[in-house]
Amino acid sequence: MHRASFTPSTSQMSRRLFLTAASAVSLGAALTACGGSGGGGGGGGSASSAKPVSQTDIDEAMKTPTELTFWTWVPDIEQEIALFEKKYPAIKVKVVNAGQGVDHYTKLRTAIKAGEGAPDVAQMEYQAIPTFTITDSLLDLSPYGASKLKDTFVDWTWGQVSGPEGEIWAIPQDTGPMGMLYRADIFDKHGIEPPKTWDDFAAAARKLHKADPDVYLTNLAANEAAAWHGLLWQAGAKPYATSGKGNVSINVNDEISKKLAAYWGGLAQEGVIGVEPDFTDAWFSALNKGKYATWITAAWGPVFLSGSAKSTAGKWRAAPLPQWDAAKPSSGNWGGSTSAVIKATKNPIAAAVFAQFLNSDPESAKLFSTKQSFFPATKPLLADPSFAGNASAFYGGQKVNQLFAEIGDTVSLDFQWPPFLDQAVTDWTETVGTSLARKKDTVAALDAWQTRLTTYAEKQGFTVQAP
Amino acid sequence: MVLFLLMFVTPLGYAAYLSLFQERLIGGTTFVGLDNYVTALKDPLLREGVLRVAAFFAIQVPLMLLLALLFALALDSGLLRLARVIRLGIFVPYAVPSVVATLMWGYLYGPDFGPFAQLGEKFDLPVPHFLSDGWMLSSLANVVTWEFVGYNMIILYAALRTVPQELYEAAAMDGAGAWRIAWSIKLPALRPALLLTLLFSVIGSFQLFNEPKLLQDIAPDVIDSSYTANLYAYSLAFTGQQVNYAAAVSFLLGLVIVIFSYVVLFTANRRRTS
Amino acid sequence: MTTTSPPAASSQAALNSTATGTPRPTHPRRRSVRRHSTPLTIVMLAVLAYFLLPLFWLAVASTKSTQDLFTSFGLWFSRSPQLLENIRETVTHDDGVFLHWLLNTVLYSVGSALGAALLAAAAGYGFAKYRFRGNNAAFSSVLGAIMIPPTALAIPTYLLFAKVDLVNTPWAIVLPSLVSPFGLYLMRIYAEDAVPDSILEAARIDGAGELRIFLTIALRLLAPGLVTVVLFTLVATWNNYFLPLIMLNDPRLYPVTVGLSSWASQAVGGGSGANSNMLALVTTGSLLSLIPLVIAFLLLQRNWQSGLATGGVKQ
Repeated sequence: MHRASFTPSTSQMSRRLFLTAASAVSLGAALTACGGSGGGGGGGGSASSAKPVSQTDIDEAMKTPTELTFWTWVPDIEQEIALFEKKYPAIKVKVVNAGQGVDHYTKLRTAIKAGEGAPDVAQMEYQAIPTFTITDSLLDLSPYGASKLKDTFVDWTWGQVSGPEGEIWAIPQDTGPMGMLYRADIFDKHGIEPPKTWDDFAAAARKLHKADPDVYLTNLAANEAAAWHGLLWQAGAKPYATSGKGNVSINVNDEISKKLAAYWGGLAQEGVIGVEPDFTDAWFSALNKGKYATWITAAWGPVFLSGSAKSTAGKWRAAPLPQWDAAKPSSGNWGGSTSAVIKATKNPIAAAVFAQFLNSDPESAKLFSTKQSFFPATKPLLADPSFAGNASAFYGGQKVNQLFAEIGDTVSLDFQWPPFLDQAVTDWTETVGTSLARKKDTVAALDAWQTRLTTYAEKQGFTVQAP
Repeated sequence: MVLFLLMFVTPLGYAAYLSLFQERLIGGTTFVGLDNYVTALKDPLLREGVLRVAAFFAIQVPLMLLLALLFALALDSGLLRLARVIRLGIFVPYAVPSVVATLMWGYLYGPDFGPFAQLGEKFDLPVPHFLSDGWMLSSLANVVTWEFVGYNMIILYAALRTVPQELYEAAAMDGAGAWRIAWSIKLPALRPALLLTLLFSVIGSFQLFNEPKLLQDIAPDVIDSSYTANLYAYSLAFTGQQVNYAAAVSFLLGLVIVIFSYVVLFTANRRRTS
Repeated sequence: MTTTSPPAASSQAALNSTATGTPRPTHPRRRSVRRHSTPLTIVMLAVLAYFLLPLFWLAVASTKSTQDLFTSFGLWFSRSPQLLENIRETVTHDDGVFLHWLLNTVLYSVGSALGAALLAAAAGYGFAKYRFRGNNAAFSSVLGAIMIPPTALAIPTYLLFAKVDLVNTPWAIVLPSLVSPFGLYLMRIYAEDAVPDSILEAARIDGAGELRIFLTIALRLLAPGLVTVVLFTLVATWNNYFLPLIMLNDPRLYPVTVGLSSWASQAVGGGSGANSNMLALVTTGSLLSLIPLVIAFLLLQRNWQSGLATGGVKQ
């Protein structure tokens, strides 16, 4: 971990990103068919039909005085922007923090709808991309040279930002491959080994809670749809798929999901894990006081935890997620985000170049990992010894970055998000989340979730395909 | 006045216009007439939300007004030391934005680390889980009561201050005690003010939004997106991207409030004449 | 609960006067010194404690570091109070954006309160003193309109404002707040009684224009009601959260409620990036944001209480 970056304003963000292999990026190796690498949609593979914008036009645009508006919640991003403005003095970037997460998307959607007040470039989490492409609100970046960046970024991130026709909807900024942080001291005290499989994990949960009724092995937050999706992702589920414009298949209660629901619902009903909402005062207190012996989290978790549970420094260690099949280790992603260009922009070239530079320029990418503590989305940076080799005292000197970089390689490539994310999240919370919190039948809740989503999708005019 | 109407009626009119359409993510906008209203009338989530706020209204409002009344009478009785400090102290919460009020109470309610829970643990007393399903409505009622008792109290108190002194003198001369004065002179004098506070409370209760919205963060399993009718309208518009339907729901909710207000006024007036 | 805070007591006078007919002027009674009741005082002090408890918590919490917030007992100070440091951090964080928020809040609420009172007075006066076609229909439509919850109307309002380029400007907050149906309602009833037709007649005979009559005569007579409308619109705008949340994108324009909640969501942003150090700033910021309004109420105590009492006198 880059402990040096621990000022209040920079310790916060959850992920990192960077890139050292300098020129490899902008020059770009041969970029042939850059396509969807299996990601965002059924078609996949074919080169984008959009005509490339000529280098002359790009050079011209980058010399024309322009002001770009950039909506982002990333703190102190001005430092990275300064690098861009230094290279392209004609372009000024105005940063606006219009809120974070849901607030940000709500405003963005309303502004796009009004045709007035939307930014040129916006921060966008991976899971939100389809929700904005369904309304045709994002600019395809492939004609602006983005296709050349394919090999720079971690494979699964590129899948997440690619469309079925080879469109590139956004440029990855940081990621959150999931892993497990655990309290070595509590494990030692009760003679528990870090669990390698979910079966081991369940056994440890029972053992620990029996030995000390005030302590739980973990907390599966009943409000955290994102974590559930990450676990689905790890388990290999494919809850959503979109093909064509109006066809969607919804599969949130298939066999894999049911396995997951039976597992976590069972542990919740037994009362051997916590289910309280995360990122609340009570939850922070619980982490500080050792109520939970592990935190199932993502690559941004280690830095976050070391800032918010200072009183437990040195007691934590990191490990990969427990596995369903120990022979085939896998993980999912939770968090991370991208830069997307809004289609209505009046300066598409400048905006597209900015989105690419910000996240792929080696210096800028590296700055994200040191200043904002982002977990990188670019391959060269993940391999950089100065990043991966960093040892953190909070984790007893463990090389946490390297561990999560390795986990990142096990994230599967073809997980997709629904084109109506907010609804999926709300419905999850009110069905599956509620069943966990109230210790009711979580498997049955999956069916309720499926029904709600199907009804909603049909109401919105989608053709819902049978699983 | 033209400006007044323009600023106020235009958005409403536009919303009413929108409520006659349906816009889908796939397939665009179509005119659907009153379909949205028909759907809304049949919507079980909306019905639940309305019933819940009706229950909230039935419990919280009488309690709040009774407290406000008692406090106002106590202040007006002249029997208190530090009356000024007490009056202002009770009124202060009104100046606290509901965002902050809910933040504070949410912390105090906390099941593990909230001060009530901590005290309960120390003295081995059972402390209710304020944020559980069974307690949530009461906990919300407490926050709202905390915010608005002082405000209602001040209205009532101001009304009490205007009761002519001669009335009291006359009553005292007739040998009426403090209780009798309160019952026979003060209460009748307060009737219009009480009616007014009641009317505001109808609107406030049925439009309950900020408090449940903010408590949702710490009790997501209890407060769902249709917990109150207004919250439901909000979720439809912002989460579900069903602006048209949300507008229809809002108008229906407005209608419910209008009806309730008239019922309140009507009963009060009938009682007065009988 | 109420997002629109109704102006208070004088409208109760209004209800009364419509119900009972003639106003019955009296004087606020003067109280003779009486004995005090200790039991009653104790009961009321207990009540007072309940009302101040959350504020006490807030004050205590503002002295704590993020770490102490999680680890020390909620209702008492921790071993290392750091109120001053918290305040310093709150006002300097992000180039002092917090002070911007406070200033914005003051501007928005004072602007809307004054404007709303004037508009309500003009409109109420118009409704009360001029007969025109649709008078009553227009009036009751305004009254009915307050019954419609504003939340779901936010998007239509936004779309309209976007068409006239007002989104993300202070006007988007001030303009809607200018329209206070409660104020209108209050001022109409108030004007009916407080501005005698005879004076208007006399002024007209003297050749005064209608505008001049309103500005020089009516407004003065309506002053006590105006004070009440101003104060309660002030509180309503000060506490307004929803409208600015939707209308404003630029943090520099936020009022303090939206600003604080944006900090709070930075503190608990979860997977999309979070910083628990913000929590201390949120609590301290909350405390600071209360102070101006509380001070305003205390300083203007005489004014608003007399506003209420004057409203009452009119019974």
